[in-house]
Amino acid sequence: MKIKDAEIISLMQDPRTQEKGVRALMDAYQSRLYWHIRRIIVDGDLAQDTLQETFIKAYQNFHQFKNDSQLYTWLYRIATNEALQQINKLKKMQKTDEDPEYHMQNLVADNAGEDAEEIQILLHKAIQSLPEKQKLVFMMRYYDDLPYEEISKIVDMSVGTLKTNYHYAKQKIEDYIKENYDR
Amino acid sequence: MKEFDIEKLERKNIYTMPDDLFENLQGRVLSGVKSEFDLEKLKRKNIYAVSENVYEDVQNHVINKVFSRKKAPVFKLNWAYGAAAAIALIFGATFVFNTNNETNDIQNSNTSYAANEEPKKESEVAYETLKSDLTSVENNNQKTTDRGESKSFARGESEKVQKTVTPAVQSVSKKEESQMNEYLDSFSNSEISELASNSTQDVYLDLYN
Repeated sequence: MKIKDAEIISLMQDPRTQEKGVRALMDAYQSRLYWHIRRIIVDGDLAQDTLQETFIKAYQNFHQFKNDSQLYTWLYRIATNEALQQINKLKKMQKTDEDPEYHMQNLVADNAGEDAEEIQILLHKAIQSLPEKQKLVFMMRYYDDLPYEEISKIVDMSVGTLKTNYHYAKQKIEDYIKENYDR
Repeated sequence: MKEFDIEKLERKNIYTMPDDLFENLQGRVLSGVKSEFDLEKLKRKNIYAVSENVYEDVQNHVINKVFSRKKAPVFKLNWAYGAAAAIALIFGATFVFNTNNETNDIQNSNTSYAANEEPKKESEVAYETLKSDLTSVENNNQKTTDRGESKSFARGESEKVQKTVTPAVQSVSKKEESQMNEYLDSFSNSEISELASNSTQDVYLDLYN
């Protein structure tokens, strides 16, 4: 039985039931957040570390959570920030002559499962070729099916801008696949 | 037109067409094939491989990190309390250090009193030094044969030594003196002379210090 957000929040707010609350929070959102982070970072170990940090930060800053937004929106925001921080760290560590986009596309191919279809791998490579904001918007809309209003709260962009970004992202991805897909 | 033969008619197209019709047609056909691709129709699935117990590991790590830390809470300390604690520590440490020193002094003096009842005089120390020297020499020269010849000389030397020692040592008992004489009697001349020179030096060193 799925535990509701209201119940998780109430468990988290009571010091006696905080541990139970954290467990419930993780049970409810670990999978969605993991895949959100994984699609940004691609590397499995780093995604796992980032997910851990996301939950730790969520616990530490739970007093800042306001009931006027949804719990998953708040968690997505933390996860997105953590993932982007990791990406920035990676970029700083990378050799200056290495193209970050090319590096990420190689990482996609290396991390893809054995049974992954070519078209799916190509799609993920295409996503990695997008600018940062378009990438985030596209992933949250396309994979997580988040409403524009919620994405707007996560990435601090207006709904209009998000729609435009999604449109461009989709177009670029389709072009990329048409260009690179061999049937 | 009775002689019309369709076979003899020139076969030509009467319709006009754009010059680049076929070139564009190829592009259109190919793009038509590719335009079949629709991102929205693509199955949305994750392609990356994941280890089996990734969520379990994450949960354990988070719980351990968050709740083990909570068991040992760190309090925010007001700077004034911190300063007061530092001052108290300094005074406390100084007090303890001084108390220890005094206690050590008392303990040291107590120990010496406990062992000897009263502190040794300089002369007693000199006598003990001489005695230990004599004992060590005796131990080193156990195989002495010419005892008779050296007896008088030994006595003389021992008396000389005794004379030197006697004024300095006041509380030496007669029993100890007789023991000393017995020791000296058992020495040869050479041993006594060696002994006497050493012991005299020691005594004078002690006396003139």
